[in-house]
Amino acid sequence: MPYRLAKTFGGKGSGRGQFPSAITGLALGARGRLLVSGGPHVQVFDSETGVPLARWPAGSPALSVAVDSSQRIFTGHEGCIEIHNAAGVLLDTWKSADRLGQVTSIAFAKDSIYAADSRNRLIRRYSPSGQWMNDIGGDNPTRGFVIPNGILTCAVDAPGVLHAANPGKHRIERYSPDGKLLSKAGKFDQLDPAGFPGCCNPTYLALDARGNLYVTEKAPPRVKALNPDGRLISVIATTDLDPLAKNCPIVVDARGRVFVADPVRLVIHVYEPTSTEKAL
Amino acid sequence: MSLRATRRATLKGISRAAALLGMSGAAAFLVRKAEGRVVWQIDTARCINSRAGEVGVKVCDLCLKECVVTQSAVRAVNEYSQCGRCNICPAYFNVTSAVSEKGVPSEKLCPRDAISRKPIGEVDPSDPANNFYEYVIDEAKCDGCGKCVMACKEPAGLGSIRLVVRHNLCVNCNSCAISTACPKDALTQLTVPESISASSRPAHSQS
Repeated sequence: MPYRLAKTFGGKGSGRGQFPSAITGLALGARGRLLVSGGPHVQVFDSETGVPLARWPAGSPALSVAVDSSQRIFTGHEGCIEIHNAAGVLLDTWKSADRLGQVTSIAFAKDSIYAADSRNRLIRRYSPSGQWMNDIGGDNPTRGFVIPNGILTCAVDAPGVLHAANPGKHRIERYSPDGKLLSKAGKFDQLDPAGFPGCCNPTYLALDARGNLYVTEKAPPRVKALNPDGRLISVIATTDLDPLAKNCPIVVDARGRVFVADPVRLVIHVYEPTSTEKAL
Repeated sequence: MSLRATRRATLKGISRAAALLGMSGAAAFLVRKAEGRVVWQIDTARCINSRAGEVGVKVCDLCLKECVVTQSAVRAVNEYSQCGRCNICPAYFNVTSAVSEKGVPSEKLCPRDAISRKPIGEVDPSDPANNFYEYVIDEAKCDGCGKCVMACKEPAGLGSIRLVVRHNLCVNCNSCAISTACPKDALTQLTVPESISASSRPAHSQS
């Protein structure tokens, strides 16, 4: 399925809608709001136009951002998760120096909130009220995910299965809520775009409502769409990202538009499917 | 002048002389220690093969080609604390070679087979990717060609491999041939304390 680059916005700077140093996460909220973490602020954009709508200071640099079904905004940090309302007012903070070392991804299921802790290379499962329930991904010879890039990412599909990128093993792994490995998809291949190249790919992942996977890779940076079995649907982008970009956050909306952040040029690219399949 | 006064003056003179001697001895020791030895070393932030911030650059093998020592005195070293211990290390494997039945590239990158790879812990035979791997560079084989350094550079790798001048192999030329040829002036002369350099003297000065 072909895609086209529809829009690019953001840029390096300290003004509204710009990023001084980093982009670490993307998330979509209600009414087409795109939330972006990174640097001293969490920023909100109109996903249609790229116009900045709001921003608020992060207590500490936010490493990830996610929005739950109640439109609460969760940001991952070093040692904690902050929860804000849609206006950016801090509602709660979950702190744990041990279990929330560096929260680089957050995902929601019906009865669970998953926090990917890249420092400990594990995904922590919490109850909606913030009670730790169990860890995922540590029951193997590597005692956790293999993440040389320093980023651990996850997403949850409609039936509630957790998908996690395991870049050092060149695959995406699927887990039950209690941490049982259900399946894995992907393999190393430097030449075939269906494979994951280099030492450690993919880095970020996202899911659409049909269970299709969207991943970003590094060296060279690439954006791909995969079907629920992990087979390649489309190479969405190869040339728009800075060659040095290695951890590119990604999110996909209900219309199939794919938002990808370039953490070097500090911009967000929006890709649209050009075929008739774009309505999900 | 009384006998007591004379003795006091003599003792005073002796102790002053001893103090002066001690001070000058300490000063001489400190000066000698500070001087140390001048050696050649590679600035990894300048070396084309290791400096961050650019990709798609051709490997520079001038350290291999220009050194007057038969097998260059420049060798690659792996900083283990920065190594990702990846299943597929782009410095070990030629990642562009065909994928083997084991799911890894079929060719190695090092032309001298100087890097070894071994799993850390038990290997799961059904899933060899399920391990960390240790990569050790055999410096006796390495000739400083720089291929592994370039392959390990960010963003493809973690930049844990770099080139260094081995002072027990370097003959410490006044005008280093690599330094003259290096387009990035990556070879610089450093003064290192004798205590450090003594254990890695150039071969020609060990006799």
